[in-house]
Order: sequence, then C-alpha cells, then structure tokens
Amino acid sequence: MRTGNRHTVSVPARTIREVIDALERDYPGLRFNLCHETGELRPYVNVFLEREDVRYLQGLDTPVADGATVHIFHSVAGG
Amino acid sequence: MATSRSYTKGTVLLLVGTKRGLFLISSRDRQSWAVEEQTLKGTRVFNAVLDSRNGRRMFAADNGDFFGTFLRYSDDLGATWQEPEQGIQFPEDGPDMLKNIWLIEPGRDDDPRTVYAGVDPASLWVSTDGGGTWNVHEGLMNHPTRDRWAPGAGGLCLHSIVPDYSNPDRMWIGISAVGCMRTDDGGKTWVFANKNTRADFMPEKYPEYGQCIHRLIQHPTQPDVLYQQNHCGVYKSTNGGDDWIDIQGTLPSQFGFPIAVDPRHPETIFTIVEDMDRANFAGQFTIYRSEDAGGQWEHLTNGLPQGTGVRLGVLRHGMCTDSFDPCGVYVGTNTGQLFATADRGDSWQLIADFLPPIYSVNVSVLE
Repeated sequence: MRTGNRHTVSVPARTIREVIDALERDYPGLRFNLCHETGELRPYVNVFLEREDVRYLQGLDTPVADGATVHIFHSVAGG
Repeated sequence: MATSRSYTKGTVLLLVGTKRGLFLISSRDRQSWAVEEQTLKGTRVFNAVLDSRNGRRMFAADNGDFFGTFLRYSDDLGATWQEPEQGIQFPEDGPDMLKNIWLIEPGRDDDPRTVYAGVDPASLWVSTDGGGTWNVHEGLMNHPTRDRWAPGAGGLCLHSIVPDYSNPDRMWIGISAVGCMRTDDGGKTWVFANKNTRADFMPEKYPEYGQCIHRLIQHPTQPDVLYQQNHCGVYKSTNGGDDWIDIQGTLPSQFGFPIAVDPRHPETIFTIVEDMDRANFAGQFTIYRSEDAGGQWEHLTNGLPQGTGVRLGVLRHGMCTDSFDPCGVYVGTNTGQLFATADRGDSWQLIADFLPPIYSVNVSVLE
C-alpha cells in the first residue's frame, strides 16, 4: 500500500540496512512496517537476498551488490 | 475494505474487536441484531471505540501480526481507515518497541480534541488534535520505578484509562502487572493507588505496586468512587483510590477480567469471574450483578448457555453497558459468542456466534 501497490521498486543501496533506509525515504512509514523501533527486523518479516534469508547471512548488514534482488515477505504463519 | 453503509439516528452500534478484525453489529431496538460489517479483516483488533465528540470518528487498535501495530481511525464508520499523521511509535533506535495497543479512550466531554491510548510496553499516549498526532506521555514514561515493572501474562499493558470527569488534573490508569496509578497534577507526577489490593503471587501480599489489575472504571456520578476487577479480587474505592475495599463477597472466584457499571443506576455493577481453568463455573455461563455497589452479588443466567461443554471466558474489555434505562449489557467471549441484555441482565440472548475470539466490545448510540 505504501508503494502505491507497486510490487517491485528499485533503490540504491550497499547493504540491507541501506535498502530499508532508501525505502523509508521513498515510501515514508515503510521502515516501521519492516522493523521495530529498536532497529531489528520484525520477527515475521523475512528478507531474502536472492534466495538467501539474510538472517543467516549478516542480517541487516548483509552486503548488496548492484542489480541484486531483495525479496521482502511476511513469513508463513497462521492460526 | 468494508462497504460504506449509513445508519439511522438512534441505531445502537456495537464495535466488536476480535482476533480477525473488527465487527460492527447494529440494532434499532436492542432485540434484533445484524452483523453489518467486518472491517480491518485479518488483524487483531484489541479495541475499537466511536468518539462522538467530534462527529463520528472511530478509532481501532490494529495489532498486526506481521507488519506492525497501528492506531487507525475512520470517519465513515469503518468503510475506510486512515493512519494518523504521527502515530504511536517509540523513537527510532531507542530501547522501546511497540507491541500492542490495548485501549483507545476518548478524553473528557469538555475536552473533545484529547484522546488517550494505552499500549504495551506500558505507556500512555495522548493526542490533542482529535487523533491526528500522538505523543507519549513523558511523565509516566519517566516514572522512577519503571525499570522494575513486570508484565502479566498478556504483556506489560496499560489497559485502563480513566480521565476524571470532575477534575481535569486527575486521572487514573491501570497497568498489568503494576496496578492502579493516579495523577493529581495533570500527569506531571504519578502515584500508586493500590492500598489494600492483593498480589497473592508475590512474597508481600499487599505491595505498593506489582498488582495485576485487570480493569478499572469510575462511578458515573460519584467521582471518588472507582471499581476494579483484579487478578486477586474485586475492589471498590470511595476515596479516589487512596485505598480499596474488597467486594468479592459471595462471588465464587477472585479472578476475572471485566467490570462495568449501569450508568443510570450506578450502584449496579456487573462482573464476570472464572474458575481455575479461566472459564465459567460448573457448566453455566454466568454474569454477576450487584445492585448495592458490591454488597451482594446475584448470579444472572437466564438465556445464558449451560452444559457440560460450556466453557466460556471473557477478556477485560469484553463487556460494556449502554446508556439506556434499563441498561443494555454486552458481553463477548474469547470463543466468539456475543450476548446481550436489554433489561439490566434479567434476561440474555445470544446475538452473534462463530465470531473470532472477542477481545473487546464497545457500544455507541448513533446521534
């Protein structure tokens, strides 16, 4: 909703943290959707760099190469 | 998104916050009810209220499971929802993170632009522009004992806010598990107001703070009279919370969540207590009424379910009263049943079933 229903956007960034910063600049309020105020990712928000969950890489400090694809999903959860 | 719907003047509208959205349920006569809308679908709506002081602004606590918790408002009775320009968020990169919004409480009638919210981690949030911008109340946030506050099972939640209608500088709040607190200076300082309320789960049974208060309400015409439902009893204060009187009396349990008062006959109070399994006693769903401010308790069961498998519970915001005479009382269970009475509890009917677990019920009569 914050991205005007665009499912794909492009931002300049060198780390996952910078991706989120850039998203916040372009789509104010989006950081709060993805992260707690304390800075860490919300527990049911999954961020993948290509096919790797960044939680198993360097977290928000995971480097991002030019042209890389970052996927943001809510995790599978029900009930 | 709910469809836009118009309601005629005099419609009784229930705002039922559930685990899977907000339900709007209406009636013209308090006998026949219709489930009108399900809005904010899929989200945990802990609380919703219609603030009639400024038109018909509806507030809802949207406690999302995935992408954050938001206070939202609607000016078209739930058809569309807005985020405040400055919502409830702690400062970035600070030590606090918003978990859940527990209550949105309109301020005093003579201060129509002030709205309050209570959240977990326990803090009081205030809007002075009708809900467009929100700020944390620093006086409570900086309380010297704050780092020793411990949560109840539901979290460290500020769930009750009582702005004193007789005194703009006085307010009470209820926090689980800290207890009742009061300000007498407009929020600059807060004192504990827990004297004579028990904390059976602590080494000292009557501590200064640490009680698990469940719900706090004020008498509608005697401003120094308060009632609370507590993990360890039901209490009344006649001196603004300086001390409390145990009014559990003949109630079968000390444990329960909701408490409500008949605004036209304010010596009449309603509560629901539960057994050790956190459900009704002995297969009979029962609502308890006192008509002498806690002296004696009646068991109200006419029209309420009975049977071996009847195991119903009601959460702290799951009961409310309307302003009619005789008053209506509305009770939502944590298994999705909604009961109502239009005769002060003498008889009840099931007005909705198969809802998601109900967190809260609030009632408005549309003007």
